[in-house]
Amino acid sequence: MSRKIALSAVAAAALLSLAACGGADDADSTGGAVTLRYAMWDEVQKPPIEQSIREFEKAHPTIKVQIELNNWNDYWSKLQTQLAGRSAPDVFWDHVSYFPKFSKEGVLTDLAPLIAQDKVDTSIYDSKLSEGWKVDGKVYGLPKDWDTIGLFYSTKALKDAGLTPADLDGLTWNPGDGGTFVKTLQKLTVDENGKHPDEAGFDPKKVKQYGLAMQAPTGQQDWWNFALQNGCTLQDKPWGRWTIDQPACVQAIQFVQDLRLKYHVAVPATVTNPPNGPSLDQVVGRGEAATAMDGSWMLRAFDTALPSGGFGVADLPAGPVGKGSVYNGLTEAVYAGTKHPKEAWELLKWLTSEHHQKAVAQAGSVWPGITSLNDVFADAWKAKGVDVTGFKKAAEGTTMGYPLTEAADVYNVKALDIFNQVWLGQLSPQDAAQKINTEANAAIK
Amino acid sequence: MIDNITYDGSVRGHRRAEHRLRARVRTVAEAYALLAPSLAGFLLFLVAPIFGVAALSLFDWNLMGAPSFVGLDNYRELAADPEVWRAVLNTIYYVVLNIPAQTVLALLLALALNRRMRGGKALRVVFVLPWMAMPVALGIIWSWVFDPRYGVVNQVLGTVGIDGPNWLTDPAWAMPVIASVNVWQYTGYTMLILLAGLQAIPHTLYEAAAIDGTTPVQRFFTITLPLLRPSLFFVLVTNTIGSFQIFDTVFVMTQGGPGGATDVLNFHIYQQGFQLFRSGYASALAMVLFALILLVTAAQFLYFRKRTVYDFS
Repeated sequence: MSRKIALSAVAAAALLSLAACGGADDADSTGGAVTLRYAMWDEVQKPPIEQSIREFEKAHPTIKVQIELNNWNDYWSKLQTQLAGRSAPDVFWDHVSYFPKFSKEGVLTDLAPLIAQDKVDTSIYDSKLSEGWKVDGKVYGLPKDWDTIGLFYSTKALKDAGLTPADLDGLTWNPGDGGTFVKTLQKLTVDENGKHPDEAGFDPKKVKQYGLAMQAPTGQQDWWNFALQNGCTLQDKPWGRWTIDQPACVQAIQFVQDLRLKYHVAVPATVTNPPNGPSLDQVVGRGEAATAMDGSWMLRAFDTALPSGGFGVADLPAGPVGKGSVYNGLTEAVYAGTKHPKEAWELLKWLTSEHHQKAVAQAGSVWPGITSLNDVFADAWKAKGVDVTGFKKAAEGTTMGYPLTEAADVYNVKALDIFNQVWLGQLSPQDAAQKINTEANAAIK
Repeated sequence: MIDNITYDGSVRGHRRAEHRLRARVRTVAEAYALLAPSLAGFLLFLVAPIFGVAALSLFDWNLMGAPSFVGLDNYRELAADPEVWRAVLNTIYYVVLNIPAQTVLALLLALALNRRMRGGKALRVVFVLPWMAMPVALGIIWSWVFDPRYGVVNQVLGTVGIDGPNWLTDPAWAMPVIASVNVWQYTGYTMLILLAGLQAIPHTLYEAAAIDGTTPVQRFFTITLPLLRPSLFFVLVTNTIGSFQIFDTVFVMTQGGPGGATDVLNFHIYQQGFQLFRSGYASALAMVLFALILLVTAAQFLYFRKRTVYDFS
């Protein structure tokens, strides 16, 4: 039964993609209108982008844009299959972890000649963002946005525990006893009898509300931050080998496991493990956790899941070597095999223009790639009573980017599987780190 | 002429044979002409890909660059890969959860529905409905049903004071949930085949046995079960093959997780092929699955061949 289904699905997909190609060509020859495909993975960000794209279509009557939305997991397997089948979307979101592979395979359009030709001013983008996408004078994308990780909290949960947002400032953790971070999370963790984890009679099996929720398919929103704060580097150098089996890294992984299994202050992995666990805005929204470590791109989701004024954002705690957050940015990229390079470039220019990014920032979607618009984003949230400047402070402080590696596929697939097991307590942090390190390094050629 | 006279009969015989042969050729040709479309499809979409996969399993290919020949390296690697063994065990675990439950349930249902009763036909349709629905859509709906907070299952359990587990993120529960979804989906189909088998058993046998003073239980074990063997054989073989190829439910409901608890072979093949783009290695894994199914099916054939009666008259 399944093979038949799989076969027919493949056949149907093949037919559909043929039909899709045919469709685009037909549009070319008949109406003179070109249909561009634009691929993304975040549903939360889609509405304001879609709105701006309708404007783009009005300004460019010969271009239609079709948005293709797939969640993070499906996005990459689909995009890469499409790239192999030479039917990739014309314009798509690109991520640092896949950039090395893509630039090497030549599937991205070099924008440098186009930028020169149209005299596009690239100095408006944060150089920290745009520099990473240049290889040997070639430019493979223009900045879409940036993000850091913060500690989202429920104002109600804080109040119920007799805490104020200021109590979340200046927290520290260490691998030994967890520090003030764990102490605070203990206050925010309550079992059904109203007991906290540091009290006698606390029942870890009947917890009503946990102090913290964590969820990260790669590590970006959880242990990478603790790793950075503990002096761990994920790689020996950019484009180099993975080094997550080093003690400072293993301690960070151990700490995340401890938050769940030793201190009982974090929501168990049986609830939060990706890809099936509910997103953290839901976990906090339901009142199952008081705080959550999550990315700035999740602001709109938290705003929806919690009542007005129901949440705020605090800084991540500081570790043994200080503060720090993972910093990342996406680009808009043009597929090298696009049949409509001119139109795709027009769309890319729109998406990376001040006009578009301002609209997206005003909607509070993501921090914009254009530096001067950061205040627009901050003000949009200030108007809603949420202070998001912590994300910006984090970006200006010690940060760690996504590892640059050709083995991102292997790391991402293995990390999902292996860290699921670590958080469940089925695998030790040391074994997990060694396993991922070995397998990801074996994939580097 | 002389020949004609002497061998009159034989010649005529020859002609008749020739005629018959021609007629036969024509029928065969007609048959092939009629078969051609499906045969072409069979060769093109089933036989050719099988050989393609077998060949590909000897290469290293990421779908983009040029494939490079690596001989048996892929097989050597998979033999030493603990995740492959985990996937094999997970697959077997799924089959063991799925097949007996599905077969016994289907048999009970078939026995219950194998009698004249009001609404019997409507009930049959109801039981077959899940089989006709789309597995992917069902997977999504079942994910909602098993949602730990808002799902029907845990809400019902909650009313009787049971704190239901996190079905799909708890490694102990994920596989049983997947199996139960598929049991639910395919029991109706199995029941249908078994019901047809039951109705083919001559009634006279039961009458004779009843006159001999046997109990219903005796009749079930001495008449029904032995004579149902052809149908049971069919459903066991086809359902086992299908179960080894479980993919859609896993893909939709758990993506092989949590922590690899539902990482079955077919999902592992998908992951290697379409997430890690190791199409050669994925092909080698597909050959392993093929061999595994071939072995189990051969064993089933050997077991049933000796004990199956096809002719009841």
